[in-house]
Amino acid sequence: MGENNVILEIQAVSKHFGALKAVDEVSFEVKKGEIVGLIGPNGAGKTTLTNLATGAFPKTAGKVIFKNLDITNLKPYQIARCGLTRTFQVVKPLIGMTVEENVLVGSLYGRDKRNTDMKNASKRTREIINLVGLASKKDASVSDITLPDLKKMEFARVLAMEPEVLFLDEVMAGLNPTEAEEASTLVKKVRQEKNLTIVYIEHIMKAVMGISDRIVVLHHGRKIVEGIPQEVVNNSAVIEAYLGKRYAKEVNNEG
Amino acid sequence: MNLQMLINAVLLGGLYALMGIGFSLQWGISGIINLSYGAMVILGSYISLEFFNLFHLDPFISMIISGGILFVIGAGIYRTLLQPLLKGGIVFTLILTFAFRLVIENIILKVWSADYRTIRVTYAGSNFQFGDAYIPLIKFLVFFVAAILIYLTYLFMMNTKTGKGIQAVALDKEGAQAVGIDVEKMYLINFALGTALAGLTGSLWASIYSFSPHLLGPIVGKVFIIAILGGLGNIWGAAAGGLLLGIAETAGAVFLGSEWQEAIGMVIMVSVLLWRPYGLMGKKFFG
Amino acid sequence: MFNNKKVNVFLIILGIIIFFFLPRFISGYWVRVITTIFMYAVIAQGMNLMSGYMGYLPFGNAMFFGIGAYITAIGMSKGMSFLAVLPLSALTAILVSILFGLPVLRLRGHYFAIATIGMSGAILSVVQNATEITGGAMGTTLPIINKSPEVTYNYFYLAMLALMVITSLTIYLVVKSKFGFGIRSIKANEEAANSMGINTTYHKVVAWAISALFTSIAGALYAYWMSFIGPEEVFDVMIAVNTIVIMLIGGAGSVLGPIIGAFVISLLSEVVWGTFLEYHLAVLGIIIIIIVFFVPKGITGTIADLIKKRELRLRKKVSV
Repeated sequence: MGENNVILEIQAVSKHFGALKAVDEVSFEVKKGEIVGLIGPNGAGKTTLTNLATGAFPKTAGKVIFKNLDITNLKPYQIARCGLTRTFQVVKPLIGMTVEENVLVGSLYGRDKRNTDMKNASKRTREIINLVGLASKKDASVSDITLPDLKKMEFARVLAMEPEVLFLDEVMAGLNPTEAEEASTLVKKVRQEKNLTIVYIEHIMKAVMGISDRIVVLHHGRKIVEGIPQEVVNNSAVIEAYLGKRYAKEVNNEG
Repeated sequence: MNLQMLINAVLLGGLYALMGIGFSLQWGISGIINLSYGAMVILGSYISLEFFNLFHLDPFISMIISGGILFVIGAGIYRTLLQPLLKGGIVFTLILTFAFRLVIENIILKVWSADYRTIRVTYAGSNFQFGDAYIPLIKFLVFFVAAILIYLTYLFMMNTKTGKGIQAVALDKEGAQAVGIDVEKMYLINFALGTALAGLTGSLWASIYSFSPHLLGPIVGKVFIIAILGGLGNIWGAAAGGLLLGIAETAGAVFLGSEWQEAIGMVIMVSVLLWRPYGLMGKKFFG
Repeated sequence: MFNNKKVNVFLIILGIIIFFFLPRFISGYWVRVITTIFMYAVIAQGMNLMSGYMGYLPFGNAMFFGIGAYITAIGMSKGMSFLAVLPLSALTAILVSILFGLPVLRLRGHYFAIATIGMSGAILSVVQNATEITGGAMGTTLPIINKSPEVTYNYFYLAMLALMVITSLTIYLVVKSKFGFGIRSIKANEEAANSMGINTTYHKVVAWAISALFTSIAGALYAYWMSFIGPEEVFDVMIAVNTIVIMLIGGAGSVLGPIIGAFVISLLSEVVWGTFLEYHLAVLGIIIIIIVFFVPKGITGTIADLIKKRELRLRKKVSV
């Protein structure tokens, strides 16, 4: 582990699609055990950054250091096996399989080699399914369950891999307020139990405030602000990014 | 390679170009690898044969009828049989189009037998001279007509409402849906256009070469290569691919002997697939 | 199949025993027909692993059949015994699948299928032209077995039966294993599979190598059986088409499917050939269309669906 318990370092990472700078020299660190909120308006580059960190996209520039290992050029499956995983904004269930089988795949490729044979993996699968509350639906086909359950399943699947750092990409998308609340509680509970480090991606401010230790704000692919929730929410640059210059001026005049 | 060979190659290539475009459109836009494409081409040939034998109709005229009939057949097949099963994926569409080929092949065998046929028009023997080379009049006319048809197809795609609709669907299916384009209808018309082009090609082919059900397989082999060379769904790409194939075949036959022709074609195709899966022209787009 | 594992095992062993003794009760013609059925079942198992389970359709898989046939023919013409040249044939096929698999398996869906056709066509051309080694377009012979025809075809019947059993068992074990889950995940969602730590390239290449292995052994046996093979015959695209139809009617994603499919298609062909000689192409085409429309999940898939529906109905009755 690096100094100050830093487990993940994003160093000046960029991704250009031709002339479009989807991610532009973004740098920040994540300490072990933290929940770092990654926010920004739609199109700010949050999901692209996630794809870059987990190896799904090649980087135009910059480095990603995970547990002191340079993972910049590793393939997605290698990075996942190192302990850095993610969920998807648009859920990607393994179609044609049941809920239990989906989570089983995660635990088969988990990191503790002693537990990745079929028998032990099945055991861990059952534990995790109970933990997230999907026990009653474990035999359902993934095409038959609701969106909140799909999200729970994807969460369970990624937990089954025993990750150390988890990028949760817009878990709230598509959930109603009750379901969102439930999701939030579940994330907090699991994080506690499993001692996870989480990068929590959202574009709704309120959802992220209550759960994050620190927040990184992206806009047009650049990092514009980083700090504790209180600071960030009152920052004029952030307000400008979300609501436009007018509101930022208003806040400044009031504050 | 001397002038005569080059001219032969280009004339052949022009016809190949027209032939490949239909298949490329069906695959690239409607998403269907049409294994019955060869059958549709020679069906066009046989239709022109009949009109020639019965009414002495010149193939350059009867090709319009061929095209029309094949358009209707294509539309019918697509609507009734392919559309419902598109979600089944490639396995289904490959097997279905192969089944169509079997049916069409059987009909052709029954009606016309496996013998090679030709259409002998009165001006078949005329040549004219170009430098050191002789250009058969018919082959020149075929090339000319093929070029016009290709250009007309391009104009259709660029300038008509339907054509633009097809383009839109090819570029972004959801976007096209969002602006109210009937996506299924576009796929249907595109597919039928492909079979029509096959029919037209068949008529033109019949005026210069002999044809029989033996050509069914090799034609499909050729249009595969043309479509991949040019990038799926790309009209000018397929045109270029057709020309390239014409040149490769002519040169190959002269320098290597005809046995290696198919191997060359295959090797080219696999190489292109690996190196530039979107075809030599780059990303899939129109013209 | 049935839920009781012991019942399944019993039925399978019973089936094998019945097939073992069958030749004593049927004519030589039918022994040969069933031998061909076993052979197609093997080829279909190989293709089913790739297509039905992993979602990659190797349309040109017959190339491994041809490779197996030709390496055997060449080897035996140089004096090698069948059992000596068999591992060589299999190894060649595996090497080809790995060598070409690494670049070609990167292609998605349609492109992969077409690339395999290209590979198959290229290999066919090479075989047709390398006349000194392969006998060229006119084919090549293998040593004829010095026994009566009856002993010969019975021998190959048993050999193909054994191959079919071994192949099916192997595929079953592969599919049920952790590796098998990896394969199925690729079909389900390849991107998600990658993100979950599955080395998809490794899985794809190994799966194709397994497929190539068994397909090539079938080709090797076929060549020895026929004593004469030609390039157009063993690299025929119709092999692939027949195999796909077998997979379709048997049902993808099931180990029993290819076997059932091979039987149904063969028996269907026999009937169609006998009854509709002049129209057999069209009738075959129409039958394929009917199958695709009404039994898209194949026999095993449709039965599995029916069982599930019955279970659901029973469960509803109980809860009410």
